[in-house]
Amino acid sequence: MNKLNKILYALFFTLLFSDNLFAQSADALEGELKLGPAIILIVLLLTFILVGVFNRAKDTKTYWAAGRKISPVGAGMAIASNWMSAASFLGMAAVMYGSGYHGLSYVVGWTGGYVLLLILMAGQIRRYGKYTAADFIGDRYYSQGLRGVGAVLAILISFSYCVGQFAGIGLMFKWILGIDYEWAVVIGASVVLTYTLISGMLGVTKNMQIQYVIIIISFIIPLFILTYKFGYFAWLPQVGYGAAISDIVNGIAPGGGITSMGHDFAILPSPEFAMPWDPATGQTAFQWLAICFSLMIGTAGLPHVIQRFYVVPRAKDARWSVVWGLFFICILYWSAPVYSAFGKILSSNPEVGKLTKDAIVVYTAQLGDLYPLVIGFLAAGAVSAAFSTVSGLLVAGASAFSHDLYFNVINPKATEKSQMLMARVGTILMAAGVAIIAILDLGLIAQLVAVAFSLAGCTIFPLFLLGIWWSGSNRTGAWAGLIAGGSVATVTLVYFITGKYGITLPYHEFINYYLNAWYFAWLGAPLAIAANIIGSKFAKEKTPLEIKKFLAERVHNIKVD
Amino acid sequence: MTEHEKYEVNFFKPLSEHAKANKKLISRLAIIWAVAVFGFHFLLIIVTTPTPEQTLNDFNSVWPQVVEDNSATVEMKQVFAKSMLMVLGKNIAVKDNHKAILKESLSWSVYSMQPDSIKPLYKLEPISAATSIGLSSEGFDKIMKDLLPSSLVKVKNSSLSDESKKALPEIMNLYLIHNQSFLTDFKFLGFPFHYWYTAQFLLILFVLLCLYYAVSIDRMNREYDFVEET
Repeated sequence: MNKLNKILYALFFTLLFSDNLFAQSADALEGELKLGPAIILIVLLLTFILVGVFNRAKDTKTYWAAGRKISPVGAGMAIASNWMSAASFLGMAAVMYGSGYHGLSYVVGWTGGYVLLLILMAGQIRRYGKYTAADFIGDRYYSQGLRGVGAVLAILISFSYCVGQFAGIGLMFKWILGIDYEWAVVIGASVVLTYTLISGMLGVTKNMQIQYVIIIISFIIPLFILTYKFGYFAWLPQVGYGAAISDIVNGIAPGGGITSMGHDFAILPSPEFAMPWDPATGQTAFQWLAICFSLMIGTAGLPHVIQRFYVVPRAKDARWSVVWGLFFICILYWSAPVYSAFGKILSSNPEVGKLTKDAIVVYTAQLGDLYPLVIGFLAAGAVSAAFSTVSGLLVAGASAFSHDLYFNVINPKATEKSQMLMARVGTILMAAGVAIIAILDLGLIAQLVAVAFSLAGCTIFPLFLLGIWWSGSNRTGAWAGLIAGGSVATVTLVYFITGKYGITLPYHEFINYYLNAWYFAWLGAPLAIAANIIGSKFAKEKTPLEIKKFLAERVHNIKVD
Repeated sequence: MTEHEKYEVNFFKPLSEHAKANKKLISRLAIIWAVAVFGFHFLLIIVTTPTPEQTLNDFNSVWPQVVEDNSATVEMKQVFAKSMLMVLGKNIAVKDNHKAILKESLSWSVYSMQPDSIKPLYKLEPISAATSIGLSSEGFDKIMKDLLPSSLVKVKNSSLSDESKKALPEIMNLYLIHNQSFLTDFKFLGFPFHYWYTAQFLLILFVLLCLYYAVSIDRMNREYDFVEET
C-alpha cells in the first residue's frame, strides 16, 4: 500500500513539474480542453480510486464505521476534508464576490457550528455508541417510526447537500474538459460513484486524509503568488489581503500591475464590497444573522458529520478530532475571502464580461495570470473537495437506506450480503437523482448546500440536543418537534420550488424573505425545540426507565447509588 | 425519590459534581460564543450610520441644474458624467437595468456638452468623450476613461428621458450610501476592523474555544475520576 502511494505521489509530482505538458494557454477563460489540468485531474482521481481499492470495505461494519481505527489528527483531517466541499472551495468565494460582507455569514456559520457540535454533542454521541443518526433517534425515542423518519431525513439532507457538490463538480469538469455543463455533471457523477462503490468508508477515510492535503495546498499556493505579484504582504496571504480589502473600499489607481487580459490592476472605490449588509447587495442584517444561525445549528445536525464521531475509538478522540478538524477547516476558511477580493479587483473591467460566480476562484487565478499548471492544480483541488464530501454523503445516505430503512424497518432478517447490496443500490439511486437535480441549476453552490443545513437544523439538531441533554424528552415530544420543524421546512421549500417555476403563492414575498430556502432554520429550529418540550411535558407517556438509565449511566456516566 | 427521578438527566439540573462543572463550562463557552458572533453584529447594526461616498455629494450638488439642463454649466455636466462613471465602475455590483439608465444618462451628458453646430453629427467616440468630460490618463481618471467604450450608448433624444430623471437619484443613493461606523473605519492589520473581526478573529476564537473545551474536559474528567469508556 505504502509503495503504491509512493509511486502515485512520484507520478503526480513528475506531472506537476513537467513544463511541456502545460503548453496550453490559460488565457481563454473557458470553452476548450485544458490538457494540463485534465492530466492532473485524471492522476488525482486514479490515486483516489487505487487508494480506495486497497482499503476497500469487507463487511457492513467496516463500510459504515471504518473499524474505528483512526487517530484524532487523522480523524480531524477526515472531518476537514469531508467538510471542505465545493461549497467551501468554490461557493463561499462566489457569495463574497457577488455580495461582499454578506458572504462572511457563510464563513462564520460553517465554522461556528463546530463549537456547538463539540460542547453539546461530540463526546456524548460517541458514548451513545450507534452507527447512524437514525439509529440514535430510533433508540433514544424508542420508536421504529421515528427511526424510519430519521433515515428518510438523513437521505434528504445528504441528497440536498450533494446537489451543490455535483454542481461544483460539473462546473470544474466543464472548465477543464471544455464540454457542456450537463455532460460534465454526468461524467463527474459517474466517477465519484465508481470510487465510492469500490472503496467504502475505510477507503474514503484514507482518501480523505490525502484529499485534505491536496485541497489545502492547491487552494493556498495561488494566494502566495497573487499577493506577491500585486504587492501585498505575501508571507501570510490570509493577513496580507487585508490591505486589498481597504484598497477596494478606497479604490486602486492603475500602476500596480496588469491582468492576464491586459487590464490594469485597478478599481474605482467600491465600499459595497466590504461594508456590512450594503444596500447595493440587496442583503439585510436580518439575512446575515439568519444565515449564520441556520448554518451553525445545521452543522450540529448533519448526519454525515455526526456519523464521523463513530469512527474514532474513544469519546476523548471524538472531541480532539473536532478541535483538529476545525483548525484544518479554518485554514481554508481564512483563505477563501482572498479569492473574492482579488477576483473583485481583477474582474472589475467590464470587458471581462459576466463570470460564473461559482467558478470565481479559478477565474481569479486565471485573471491573475498565474502559471497554468497552478490553475490546473487549483481546479483539480476543487474537484477533490467536492469528491471527498460527496463520497461521505453517499455513504451516509446509503447507510441510512440500507441499515436504517431496509434492515431495521423493512426486513430485519436481511443477511449481511443483502444489506451490502442495498447499500450499493442506495448509493447508485442517490447519485443518479442528485445528478438530475444538479443539472437544473437552481442556485449558487453555497445556497444549495445551505438548504441541507437548514433542513438538518430544523429536524435532526433538536432531536439530538434534547435527546442527549434532557431525558424528559419523549416519543410524543420528538414527533411534535419533527412536525413543527418539518412544517416550516415544507412551507419554505414549496414556496421556493413553486417560485422557481414562476407560480406566485399568497404572501410570496413575505415568506421568501423570512422563510427563505437558504436560512429557514432560524425559525424552524427554535420552533421544533419548543414543540418537542411542550409535547414531552403534556404527553401521558414517560421516557422508559431503561432509556433514562442508559442516558444517565452510559452517556453522562452518572453513578446512582 | 422515584427510580425515574434518580436517572433524570437535565442539563439545568445536574445530578453529579462532574455534571455541575460540565454545565458551568458549557454555559460559559456558549455565552462567549453567542456574544462574540451575535453580540458583535447587533452592535454593528446599532452603531452603523448610512454614509455617502464623495461621489454622491458631487452628484447631488449638480443634479438640480443638470436635470433642468439649461442652467447647468459644462463643469457641472462633467461632474455629473464622472459620477455616472464612478457608479458604472462598480460593475458586477450594479444591476443591469440600473446600468442601462446610468449609461443613457452618461451618454446624454456627453452629447449635451457638444456645441450645437456639431450635435447633429456627433457620434459618441470614447476619445473625444474623455476630452469632453475632462478625464486625464492618470489615477481614477484612467479607469473611467477605460470604462467609456463599454459605457457609451446611442443618444436617442436631446433631453434626458423622464424615466431616467425619475430613477437616477434613487439609483445613486442605492450604490453610493454605505453602512459605516467607527467599527468599519478603524483599520487593523490593513483590514477594516469589522471585516477582520468577522473573517479572521471569529474563526480564531472558535478554534480557541474548542481547544479550551477539549483541554478543560480532559482535566475535569481526571479531577472527578470520570471514566468515559466502560
